[in-house]
Amino acid sequence: MIGFLLRRLVWLVLTLWVVFTATFWLMQAAPGGPLNSDRKFDPVVEQNLKRRFNLDKPPWEQYLIELGNVARGDLGYSTKMADFTVNQVIAEGFPVSAALGLLALVFAISAGLVAGIAAAVMRGRGVDVALMSAATVGIALPNFVIAGIMILLFVFIWPLFPAAGWGSASQLVLPGFCLGAPYAAYIARLTRTGMLDVLNQDYIRTARAKGLSLPAIIYRHALRGGLLPVVSYLGPAVTNILTGSLVVEQIFAIPGLGVHFVQAALQGDYPLAMGVTLFYTVLIYSLNTIVDIAYGVLDPRVRLA
Amino acid sequence: MRLRQNWFPVVVLIAMAVGTAWALSFAALPPADFTFVNGTEVESLDPAIVTGQPEGRIINALFEGLTNWDPRDLHPTPGVAERWEISDDGRVYTFYLRESARWSDGTPVTADDFVYSWRRMLDPMTAARYAYQGWYIANGRKYTYGGTLLEPGDPVEIELADRPDGALPHARGRVLRGRLIEKIPLAGKDSAAQEAVDEHDVPPAPAMAYLVEIDGQQRLFQSTGELLEGAQRCEQVLLDFGQVGVKAIDDHTLRVTLENRTPYFLQLTGFYTLFPVNRRCLETHGAPNWTRPENLVSNGAFNLGFRRIRDRIRMVRSDTYWNRDAVQLNIVDALAVESDITAFNLYMTGAVDWIPNVPATVISTLIEQDRPDFQPAPAMTIYFYRLNTTRPPLDDPRVRRALALAINKEEICRRVTQAGEVPATSFVPPGLADYERAVGPEHNIAEARRLLAEAGFPNGQGFPRIDIMFNAVESHALIAQLIQSQWNDALGIRVATRQLEWGAYLNDQQHLKYWVGRAGWIGDYPDPNTFLDMFVTDGANNQTGWSNARYDELIQLSASEPDPQRRMAMLRKAEQILLDEMPIVPLYYYVSKDMVQPYVRGFYRNLQGVHPLDAISIDKAQREAFRSQARAL
Repeated sequence: MIGFLLRRLVWLVLTLWVVFTATFWLMQAAPGGPLNSDRKFDPVVEQNLKRRFNLDKPPWEQYLIELGNVARGDLGYSTKMADFTVNQVIAEGFPVSAALGLLALVFAISAGLVAGIAAAVMRGRGVDVALMSAATVGIALPNFVIAGIMILLFVFIWPLFPAAGWGSASQLVLPGFCLGAPYAAYIARLTRTGMLDVLNQDYIRTARAKGLSLPAIIYRHALRGGLLPVVSYLGPAVTNILTGSLVVEQIFAIPGLGVHFVQAALQGDYPLAMGVTLFYTVLIYSLNTIVDIAYGVLDPRVRLA
Repeated sequence: MRLRQNWFPVVVLIAMAVGTAWALSFAALPPADFTFVNGTEVESLDPAIVTGQPEGRIINALFEGLTNWDPRDLHPTPGVAERWEISDDGRVYTFYLRESARWSDGTPVTADDFVYSWRRMLDPMTAARYAYQGWYIANGRKYTYGGTLLEPGDPVEIELADRPDGALPHARGRVLRGRLIEKIPLAGKDSAAQEAVDEHDVPPAPAMAYLVEIDGQQRLFQSTGELLEGAQRCEQVLLDFGQVGVKAIDDHTLRVTLENRTPYFLQLTGFYTLFPVNRRCLETHGAPNWTRPENLVSNGAFNLGFRRIRDRIRMVRSDTYWNRDAVQLNIVDALAVESDITAFNLYMTGAVDWIPNVPATVISTLIEQDRPDFQPAPAMTIYFYRLNTTRPPLDDPRVRRALALAINKEEICRRVTQAGEVPATSFVPPGLADYERAVGPEHNIAEARRLLAEAGFPNGQGFPRIDIMFNAVESHALIAQLIQSQWNDALGIRVATRQLEWGAYLNDQQHLKYWVGRAGWIGDYPDPNTFLDMFVTDGANNQTGWSNARYDELIQLSASEPDPQRRMAMLRKAEQILLDEMPIVPLYYYVSKDMVQPYVRGFYRNLQGVHPLDAISIDKAQREAFRSQARAL
């Protein structure tokens, strides 16, 4: 186990270096940069700005300076939000994204599991058809469409929730739902398939023949086997929810990391774009490692190698 | 076995419950009296380094300059300075600071604060984009230019490279003063830096060593490259700041000497670039940490409460501001909301009191409804097309004129922009006091065809395929497509449209890699010069390759012309040249698109969209009535 973690750590460092290098040169290749502005300033002012951001140095020298700083954990100052370091921006933005993602995840898991199990148990009946149609729609609709419909319904027609913002529980309901909906739909379908597989197994028939009640069969015997596909989906789902919240964050004006990521790239805020990219790399990598470990716990056949 | 079988769901359930509880736990925030949408997150709260409008809204509330702008008509009113005197030649301003002006830590605002702040703003190390706002002051430009403009005999200040390790960014090293004897070029030291800069940019100043006489001794200083023998390392060599036209006569008297008579100088002192910053605060915490809410010391009507990145900036009424009794709002929230649609939703649900912009899709509906809270008003902003005069056949003024004449601007305003924008006949927008605008060509297809034929392209034959470049915004695309078809129909020329991302668009425009490019310009101060000085030869914002000696001359002469009327006449002549030669095609004048709730008082729609928060108040009774009415609906 410790050997496994150590190997993973080494690979993480290598991955970070590759991601850093690729990101750095891609940003170099992209037109514009931190000094982008629709008004051009006096050449001397431009020179002063370039010097301030080290842009007056040749690219390879900038690369080495940046690499050294990043290796020391210093991601520098954001150029478009000059009062903050990149570390501050991430430290403030990530908990927001995480809280939103967590709610979306809790919603996706609970709604998805309940719907999936119900559909599997009542296979072929009206409930099953209705739930699975809803799930298909949920997967097919992009979340900005869902968000638009939800805002129309629950902000304007039936004013239950605020239109946007961050700072109270009621402001999280709509974005949490919009972010979680596609995942809930996907989990519902996975659960249904997994449960159907298990419910047809001999040991379930045996349990039923013993006279166990339906809830008992599902909870004690079917759930464990039926949930394996869901668990393996959760790893990527968590990363996708955490990194994919940018559209929802933008629509609901939520100050999370997703918005920073997009804006940094659009505005040519090199340090922030780099910092968030590296942060996401670490995040995805760690989550994948956790999922691998969870497999080993849940399914003894999987060995960590 | 049983334990192992069942712990997993239980743990997951508990984790989900705890997580949900954490995610939903918020500390309750006292509600603000006034909440507005401020667009994007501000770049900084440091008045010296920012350039944008969102920044201006916050900084104007936190800080105060020598003068303020009256929100009704933008004329300068007393700020930190309670009165001023202007010398007969218009070049020397004496400001008398009010004794009651205070920083938020209770200390008085003094003339030294302005000297300190303006020096800092002009310092090359501060890298202020709007440094030119300080270049109206005598020798301001020379100071910012550092070594480049220094000549032997100039008094200089040398900032030594003795900042301690780990010094706060932009702290100053020890400063020596002396007289420059000689600039010694350092050969080949900067080849690497030369490589790095873009071929179109001005190369950096050649590396120099500076021989300076200090107290009768000659000493050599160098900021870059390997040290010559006997040379000492320094950060930079600048003109002695004593040469720059700003002096503190005493604690409450500030004398400012200008390069030229500048009729709009009192407007400039009310613009944030020339606002004072608190020296002790800056030197204690360093940049940019001094702008943090727990550190910031400011002198305006509001203090900084807290900041949440890309969420909100909370401002609280200052109890040290000299005019605090006139300030009505206690708590103000500025929300960073990027999306116009989200902002509009917030406004329509009553969550915010003011949005400075509305989504393009709702404009026609709002106009139809004739809402009292949406009254577009003229703005000091122009939408125009640049023509690249370095690319034939656009180098021919007849061709440029033909293109301009063939555009139906009225159709653009009616079909695309829809908020009551006015088709532009001049480059300088209307509404500037004492300025009569020059007149450009009207829509005239017959004349356009004639000119194009005269230039050698009858019915557009032989005319190369040109394109219209714009940044990716829907309304820009619609306008470009409309003009594309207008040109095609009227002149028979083939035109493409080219949509680019912001960075690529700026890059191509600055480097003249375009045929026709979309552009906009917001005036910085209410004077035609803010528009016209763009197009002097090689001006940084010219970006058309156009050059006209008479135009340059008129702009230059107008800067030092003492008679206001003659000065305006010169500027008008210059504008007429611009409109005859047509390196640009003005399309329409913008209108402001603010929406303000009906219970807000003290909000005036002015040319520059400046809405000081200290003038705003809320009619609470009307707000209650409004809200209960909204609930009933």
